[in-house]
Amino acid sequence: MDILTDNALMLRVKSGDLDKMSLLFRRYNRPLYGFLFHMTGRQEQSEDMVQDVFYRMLKGRHTFTGEGEFKTWMYHLARNVVKDFFRKNKHKASHYDASLYTDKLTGGMVADEMMQRKMEIEQLRQAINSLNDESREVLVLSRYQELKYAEIAEILGVSEGAVKVRIHRAINQLKAMYQTVETKN
Amino acid sequence: MKCENDKAQLTLYMNDQLMPAERAAMERHLATCEDCSAELEASMQMWNLMEEIPVPEPSGNMQMRFNVMLDTYKDAVAERKLTSLGLIEKLKQLFTLQPAFTMAYSIILIVAGVSVGLLLNRPAQGIVAGTTPQIDKLSAQVHDLKETVTLALLQNPSASERMRGVSFTSEIKGENKNIISALFVTLNNDDNPNVRLVTLEALTHYVNDPAVREGLIQSIEEQDSPLVQSALADVMLKLQEKRSVQPFKNLLKQKDLNMMVRSKIQETITQLI
Repeated sequence: MDILTDNALMLRVKSGDLDKMSLLFRRYNRPLYGFLFHMTGRQEQSEDMVQDVFYRMLKGRHTFTGEGEFKTWMYHLARNVVKDFFRKNKHKASHYDASLYTDKLTGGMVADEMMQRKMEIEQLRQAINSLNDESREVLVLSRYQELKYAEIAEILGVSEGAVKVRIHRAINQLKAMYQTVETKN
Repeated sequence: MKCENDKAQLTLYMNDQLMPAERAAMERHLATCEDCSAELEASMQMWNLMEEIPVPEPSGNMQMRFNVMLDTYKDAVAERKLTSLGLIEKLKQLFTLQPAFTMAYSIILIVAGVSVGLLLNRPAQGIVAGTTPQIDKLSAQVHDLKETVTLALLQNPSASERMRGVSFTSEIKGENKNIISALFVTLNNDDNPNVRLVTLEALTHYVNDPAVREGLIQSIEEQDSPLVQSALADVMLKLQEKRSVQPFKNLLKQKDLNMMVRSKIQETITQLI
């Protein structure tokens, strides 16, 4: 039953079959949550924003043409939600609980190595948070959402060449930041 | 020897964005250039480490919240269709669907008109003392009417009208016993979980009243919707209401209790004790 493409489903929603939105929600709530979390660093608010994005898709269903991909349209709306969030809460991406790291790090590493690894990850996280929004955004889209350069270009409304430049610049900025954080600690 | 290679190409190489020929050329270059291979190494290390940044699990009620949102939206759309009918149709519906509401509204308008008239025509001096009680009486009547409208709306067959009724309760000043008991009837008996949710929200404005707290605790075992159950858990936690522990424990005994609600309630209980 799940063979309909994203676009076909969204076009059904557009034509009034609003229940089809549930299938899209099932496909995309996790990746979308991941994007929002990496952009804001806030769990609860990211969950709220997932609802907001889906609400905007319902409300704006008439504007979906089906020419572009559903996914890029969704991220395009999600970016606006993130922008509104930062406008309302004048702060940057924030800290979250360090105890989270224990879940992900397993595999027989000895305690010292694990501590070391945790610290590195924390430093990298701080470095990502201190990037400007534009750089963080392209990194999140390409690294975590695993989108192609062409897709990112469509989401951001820029050329593929511009995406190449931005990602390269972001990686360099991140490397520089990461090294500064590392030496500071 | 300074390397002439375009460093941006390294990023493209890492992200697999090069054409096969470019890729081969890059690999040849990397084999000879220490500078570039060290830089690539550093980028890749960082790129790989990025994957280990943990993302906390979402709380588990995202799906439920989405369902509520979708239902509410569908209701709203259905209602809008109703209101976009012709003007005559619309008027007809207004009078057939909600006679209590429409009539009460007209009476409010008349009463408001009369009070304004009285205020404006007030003689310069003298009788003022006599009119104030009249105005007080009128505003009391308006208040009673609001109550009547709200109670009527709570009985309406349409879920969105009932929700409107619930939202009206916030406009009624003071702790009105009739309203509170009507809200409890809705909370415990309404067949739409969304209506029950907004009712619960409305009742939380009265938690200073011990009877309301008591009623909310009693309502725990009445609820069968995971949404309302979990919202009640939130309310009890916020109120630090230890008396709710027992009803929650009883709820846990139900075999068909929603898994997510179960873990939420267990968590609530441990935080309350």
